[in-house]
Amino acid sequence: MSTTRVAPPSSVARRSGRALGLLPAALVLLVLVLISVGLGSRDVAPADVWQALIGSTDRADATVIREMRMPRTLIALVVGAALALGGTILQGLARNPLADPGVLGINAGAALAVVAGALVFGAMPASAAVWFAFAGAALATVAVYTIAAVGREGATPVKLALAGAAATALCGSFSSAILLADPDALNELRMWQVGALAGRYYPVLVQLAPYFAVGIVAALFTGRALNLLSLGDELASTLGLRIDRTRGVLFAIVALLCGAATAACGPIVFVGLMIPHLARLITGPDYRWILAYSTVLGPVLLLGSDILGRVLLPTAEVPVGVVVGVLGAPVFVLLVRFRRIVTI
Amino acid sequence: MTAVMAPVGTTARRFRALSRRRLGATVVVLSAVVVLLFVVSLVVGSVVVPPVDAVLATFGVGEDATVFVIQELRLTRAGAAALVGIALGVSGTLFQRVLGNPLASPDFLGVAAGAGTAAAAALVLGGVAGFTLSGYALLGGLATAALVYFLAWHRGVSEYRFILVGIGVGALASSVTSYLVARAEFSDARAALSWLVGSVGMATPGLLRVVAVLLVVLAVSGPGLARMLRALELGDEPARMLGARAERDRFVLLGVAAVLVSVATAAVGPVAFVAMLAGPLAAIALGPTSRSILASGLMGAVILQVADLLAQHALAWPISTGVVTGAFGAPYIAWVLISAARETSAG
Amino acid sequence: MPGRARVAATLISAVLAVTVAGCAGPSEAEPDGPSAEPEWSYVSGDGQTYTADEVPERIIAEAYAAKVLMEFGITPVAIWASSPIAEDVGLQGADFTGIEVIGQEWGKIDVAAAAELAPDLIVGDWWPVEEAYSGFEAGVEDTSRRLADLAPVVGASQGDSIVSLIEGYADLAASLGADPEAIAQSRTTFEAAVTDFEAANEENPGVSALAISPWDTNYAIAVPAYAPELLDFQRWGLDVIVPDTPDPDFPYWETLSMETADRYQPDLILFDDRNHPGNEEILAEAPISAEIAAFAAGQTTTWPAYWVHTYGDYAAELTRLAEVIRATDASVGE
Repeated sequence: MSTTRVAPPSSVARRSGRALGLLPAALVLLVLVLISVGLGSRDVAPADVWQALIGSTDRADATVIREMRMPRTLIALVVGAALALGGTILQGLARNPLADPGVLGINAGAALAVVAGALVFGAMPASAAVWFAFAGAALATVAVYTIAAVGREGATPVKLALAGAAATALCGSFSSAILLADPDALNELRMWQVGALAGRYYPVLVQLAPYFAVGIVAALFTGRALNLLSLGDELASTLGLRIDRTRGVLFAIVALLCGAATAACGPIVFVGLMIPHLARLITGPDYRWILAYSTVLGPVLLLGSDILGRVLLPTAEVPVGVVVGVLGAPVFVLLVRFRRIVTI
Repeated sequence: MTAVMAPVGTTARRFRALSRRRLGATVVVLSAVVVLLFVVSLVVGSVVVPPVDAVLATFGVGEDATVFVIQELRLTRAGAAALVGIALGVSGTLFQRVLGNPLASPDFLGVAAGAGTAAAAALVLGGVAGFTLSGYALLGGLATAALVYFLAWHRGVSEYRFILVGIGVGALASSVTSYLVARAEFSDARAALSWLVGSVGMATPGLLRVVAVLLVVLAVSGPGLARMLRALELGDEPARMLGARAERDRFVLLGVAAVLVSVATAAVGPVAFVAMLAGPLAAIALGPTSRSILASGLMGAVILQVADLLAQHALAWPISTGVVTGAFGAPYIAWVLISAARETSAG
Repeated sequence: MPGRARVAATLISAVLAVTVAGCAGPSEAEPDGPSAEPEWSYVSGDGQTYTADEVPERIIAEAYAAKVLMEFGITPVAIWASSPIAEDVGLQGADFTGIEVIGQEWGKIDVAAAAELAPDLIVGDWWPVEEAYSGFEAGVEDTSRRLADLAPVVGASQGDSIVSLIEGYADLAASLGADPEAIAQSRTTFEAAVTDFEAANEENPGVSALAISPWDTNYAIAVPAYAPELLDFQRWGLDVIVPDTPDPDFPYWETLSMETADRYQPDLILFDDRNHPGNEEILAEAPISAEIAAFAAGQTTTWPAYWVHTYGDYAAELTRLAEVIRATDASVGE
C-alpha cells in the first residue's frame, strides 16, 4: 500500500488500468444477461428471443421471455450486486476476511422468520413472505454481530463464523420443527429455503426496488470510510473519522442490502464472501475500487451460477443457492488454509 | 508429569488427592443420575408405570401390557438416550481436548452435516431406509471427517483452521442436503427432514447394539486413549519433541472421536450440540483441576436423556430430540463467545 | 489411573447388560392360530386373510379409515392422523369427540397410550406400491411402528378406484358387526350422485379436465393411473387428460416447469384441494398463467385429491363437480 502512495506515476497507470479492467467484466456480464434471457426449460429459438424482446411474436413465448426470464435476470443482477457489496462492507467493517451474509447466519434467520410467518398466517405469496425474510435477516445480523463483537479484540473471524454457525443451527432446527409439524408450509417453502431465482417475477423486484436502490447507491459511497477503517481505529479517528457513528451507518447499509437480497430469493451463501476477495485480488486494497468491482462481479457470479444451475442436470434446475454454495465452500476452505490471502 | 508439579511439593500432592476424590465423587453422582434418568424415562409417558414395575418389566416380569410398554416401547429409547449420549459426550470431549477449543464439536466440524447429506441422498435418491440408511450416514460422517482432516492438515493440525475448514465443508454438505430435500417427492422430503433433525426415538435395537459394542471396545481401550490425550495436553514443548508420535496420537484420537460421532449419528440422526455441551459441563462439575473422558461421556448421557424427556413430554405433542438440544446449544455458544471475550478484555 | 478405566468398563457394561437384555426380549407378533371355525375373518388389502376367535371390538384406526368405519357405524376407541386433524381437508365433517387421539404428526404415534387401550385390531389403508399400511411406511419412528405389535393390522387396499376402497371398508365394517342397512343406504345416496355426474358429462360432452398441483416453480400434473378418483371420473365420462411423460422416478405426477405450463390446454382446471388456495395463488403469480386458456377464463375448481374414503364425501364432491361440469364452456381448451 505504502509503495503505491510513494510512487504516484505507477498509481496513475494503475488507476486507468483498474478502470479499464471493469470493461471486460461488464462485457462478460452483458453476455451472461443475453444467455440468461435466451436459456430456459422452454425452447425458444434465438431469433424468436429477439423478436419477443422487441415485441412481435407468439404470445406465450413473449410472456415467458419478457415476464419470466427478464425479471429473473434483473433480480439476479441486483441481488448479486447487493450481496457482493454487503459482503465487502461487512469485511471492511469487521476487518474480517470471513465475514459473509451467509456465514453470519442471516439466511437461517430469514428462513426461520418466513417459516414462522407461514405457520402463523398460513400460506402466503412471495410478496408477503419477503417482509418476514427482511425482519428475520436484520434480526439475525444484529444478534450474531453483537455476540461476536463483545470483547476487546472485536469480531474475529473465528468468533463471527462460530456465532453464525450457532445461529444457523438454532434457526435451522426450529425451522425444521415447524416444517415437520406443518406439511403445507413444508411443501411451499422447501424450495425457497435453498435460495432460488426461479419463480421470482416483477412484483418481487418492484416491491424491493427502493431498498436495493438506496442500499446499492449508499454502499458505493462507503469506500473512503472503509479505507480509513482499514488503517485501524486509532489512525482512522486521528484522520477525522467518527468511528462509532460510521460503524453504525455501515452496519445499517449491510442489513438493508442483505435483508432485501435474502427477501428476494431466499438464503444465498458465499457471494458476499467470494466477490470481495476476488475484487481485492484485481484492484489491491483500495475499497473504492473493490466496491466498484463487486458491483459488477457479484451479478456475474450469481447470474453465471444461475445459468449453470439451469443446464447442470437434464431433468430439473438446480437452484442457484446450491450452485453458489458448492462453488463457495472450496473458496472458503482455501481462504482458511492460506492465511496470505486472508490478510486484509 | 511429576517433574512439572515438583516445585510445589506436598501441597500439590494434597491438591491432586483432593481433585482425584472430587473426580471419583463426580463420576459416581453422574452415573447415579444416568441410572435415575434411565428409570424415569421408563416410568413416564402417556401411561405411567411405577418405578419398581418398570425395572421388573425390563427383565420380563409383570403384566403383559406393562412388559410390552417397557420392553418394546421405552427400553430401546431409554437405552439409546444413555448409550448414544455417552458416545457423543466422549466424542465431543476428544475433539475439544485434542483441538484445544471448547467450540470444536462435531456439529461444527462438518461430521454431522456430512452424515446428514449421505443419509438424505440415500433416502431421496435410493429410497433407502432403516439399517442401510444408518450405514450411509456412518460412511458420510467418516468420509467428511477424513476430508476435513485432510484439508486442514498443514504441517500439523491447527485447531482454528480445523474448525473453520469444518464449517466450510459443513456448509457445502448442508447446501447439497437442502437441495436433496427440496427436490425430493413430498413423503421423501418429510422423511429426510425428520431424520435430519435427529430423534432418539429413531434408534432401533439393532443399531443400539452396534453403539453398545463400540462403547465396550472404547471402555477397553480407554486407558490407552487417556494416556495419549494427556501426553498431547502436556503442551507443545514435549509434544514437539516427540514429533511424529504426537501427530499420530492426534490422528488416532480424532479418528476415534469421528467413529463415535458417526455411529451415534447413524443411530439417532444428527442431534445437535450434545457432543459440544458434554465436556464443558463435566468440567464445571469436576472443578478446574481434573478432566475425565468418562465424566464427559456420562454428562453426554445426562444431556441427551434430559433433552429426550423434554422432547417427549414437555409439550402436548412429542417433538424431535434435536429441536430441544438445538435450542439449548445455541445460547451456550453465544455465552462461550461472550465470556471468552470478557476474559481477554479483562486480562 | 487404571482405577478410573475399570470404573468406566464396569459402568458401561452394566448399562449395556440392562439394555441388551431388554432388547433381546420376545418381540414376535402372535401368529394366527389355526382354529377350525374363526368367529371373525377379513380379507385385508395385503391379500391375506386375518381371523380371530372373537369379533374385534377395540379398534384403533388411522383417521381416514376411522372416518369411513364410522360412516358405517363402527366407532374406534382411538385414532391417529398424520397431520393436525382440524387442518386436514379429508377429515372435515368427521366427529371424533370421545375418541382418543394418539397422534397428529406424521410418524409419531403414542403406542404406550395405544397399549393401554388394549386394542384387538389396528386399521389403516394398504398401499400396494409401498407394500405397507398407513402409519408403517418407511421413515416412521421405530417406536411408532410398535403399534403393529399390539394387534393385527388390516385395511382396504388403495387401488384403481375409490369405490373399491370404500367397499373394502364396507366389508370390514360388516365383518365387525355393522348394520347392513346403513351401509346399503349410504351406497344408494352415492350411486345417485354418480348417475348425476354421468348425466352432467352427457349433457355437456367434450369437457376435458387437467388435475394439477402447482408448487414453487413447478407445474405438477396428476397422472390418473395413480389417482383412483381421477380414474373414477374417467369411468363416469369426464375426459381427464393423461400427461405424456410422467416423472421417471415418481410416476404419480408429470412435473413441468412454469415456463412450459401452457403445454396442455384443458377446458377445466382441477386444483389439488389439499393445498388450495395456495397452489392457485402460486399459479396466478406466474405470468404464464395468462396463456392457459382455462385459467384465464376462470374455469377452475378443485378435486378431492387422494383422500376420499367415504360414500358421503364422495357423493358431495361428485354433486359439486357435476354442477361445475355443466357450467363449463367446452370450447375453451384445445
